[in-house]
Amino acid sequence: MKHKVYITGSNSTKFGEHYSKSASSLATQALLGSINNAEIKKESIQAAYFGSLVSGSNSQTSIGSTCIRECGLDIPITRIEAGNASGAAAFQQAYFGILSGQYECVAVVGVEKLSDYVKGGTIEKILGATIDYHWEFEMGATLTSLYAILTKAHMKEYNTTLEQLAAVPVKNHKNGVKNPLAQFRREISLDRFLKAKRIADPIGRFDPATHCDGASSIILSSSQFLAENPDITTKVPIIGLGHASDTVSLHHRDTLTSLKATRKAADQAFKMANIKAKDINVAEVHDSYPIGEILAIEDIGFFPKGEGGKATEDGLTSLGSEISINPSGGLKARGDPFGATGLAQIIEIVEQMKGEAGERQIADSNYGLTQNVSGTGALTYVSIFTREEVKK
Amino acid sequence: MEPPKIWREKRERYLAVGIKCLDCENKSFPKSEVCAKCSSSNVEEYKLANTGKLLYYTQVTQTAQEMMEYTPYIVGIIELDDTIKVTGQIVDCNLDEVKEGMLLRMVFKILARDGDEGLIRYGFKFAPS
Repeated sequence: MKHKVYITGSNSTKFGEHYSKSASSLATQALLGSINNAEIKKESIQAAYFGSLVSGSNSQTSIGSTCIRECGLDIPITRIEAGNASGAAAFQQAYFGILSGQYECVAVVGVEKLSDYVKGGTIEKILGATIDYHWEFEMGATLTSLYAILTKAHMKEYNTTLEQLAAVPVKNHKNGVKNPLAQFRREISLDRFLKAKRIADPIGRFDPATHCDGASSIILSSSQFLAENPDITTKVPIIGLGHASDTVSLHHRDTLTSLKATRKAADQAFKMANIKAKDINVAEVHDSYPIGEILAIEDIGFFPKGEGGKATEDGLTSLGSEISINPSGGLKARGDPFGATGLAQIIEIVEQMKGEAGERQIADSNYGLTQNVSGTGALTYVSIFTREEVKK
Repeated sequence: MEPPKIWREKRERYLAVGIKCLDCENKSFPKSEVCAKCSSSNVEEYKLANTGKLLYYTQVTQTAQEMMEYTPYIVGIIELDDTIKVTGQIVDCNLDEVKEGMLLRMVFKILARDGDEGLIRYGFKFAPS
């Protein structure tokens, strides 16, 4: 075993509307699915990490314990909240749990149950907590309006066009058609995005990712655990991690055309992995709004600053091109159950590294990256993965 | 809306008061016990400039229930004349009159209403100067 920590199993529920299921039952389904996928006995799992933004904090705390009971497990579980990036945050804590030597095999599960919030304004209020609740949200701003401002700043500085922005969700919906777990498996035309009513100019009605229900789970194991269990077939090494923060409020930042937390987290992850942005073949990035993906591909270093929009419009981020961005369909087509999203991104890369992504499979991909963002960039987590045997 | 929170933030919300560090002269908003730059606790209250210009704006069509009666409204980032930046609503003008770079003055308004019998939350918004 060349690496220290591996992903050895994963599972996701379908993302969408699960009216008949609770948050804990979705989490249970994903967690048991990932244990099954790892082909290990459930008693092998020594601890679990639970990522969610709001599920488990509004009416029932410690829903991780409910999930553990439903799974028939008797292990410690810790809930981790890092806004929209709670899934990736829980994943990184699970990694450190193994790296510390405390555990040899752990599970991480992320969930969100958002279709329960049917009353108008409730989702906006939940998302208001991911921006500066007191001095942005209560003053009248919303997450969507602040992303509109980030979009305007990029358009003004780099002449990014509405057509370039719309090319992001057009591509992601096209990819989502090939993903059986995606909420929306249909294409949407460029024209439809451009002609949609503006909800917060320049953001149109169809631009934001939808807030839905879903759970994802991943099993992490040490190299020692793999040596003791030679029958395990899934072995995807985790080779780079980065996490950085920025001011919660946009008005406290020096620039609105770049997310500092993404730049710093990506730098850390590349340094740890000892590779460069150009080595990455496939990436899942936080496209909760079109500008999110453009900022991500620039700030991570896939394209020079200001050229992300044009690169997307020119097809340089499409499936199988120079670098494939969001082959799963991204948050936009897959749907965004906040706590599950960061793990669903990682699971897509795991499938790509194993060569099991079906119609979405990118040939000869050696390195994959994920980027999970909270709010307008207050927190970013970047993770890098490879395959057990890197192809030359 | 929690009354203790509104009470605690009354000087910031009603009078637009931040802090100024007496050691490094850094000004910041909202208030904090220590300077956000040099961590000195040698700080005093500082009244924000009440005029500034609009840097970026957009409209809000969907928000929390207690602010929905004001939609659609304009929200933006305003740079005050003392260089402090804040987020706020642009009011007392037509939506199509709002332009980047327009000069604004701070006005005292109702921000949200918790139903017909609930608390009213006040604070600053901005109007053309």
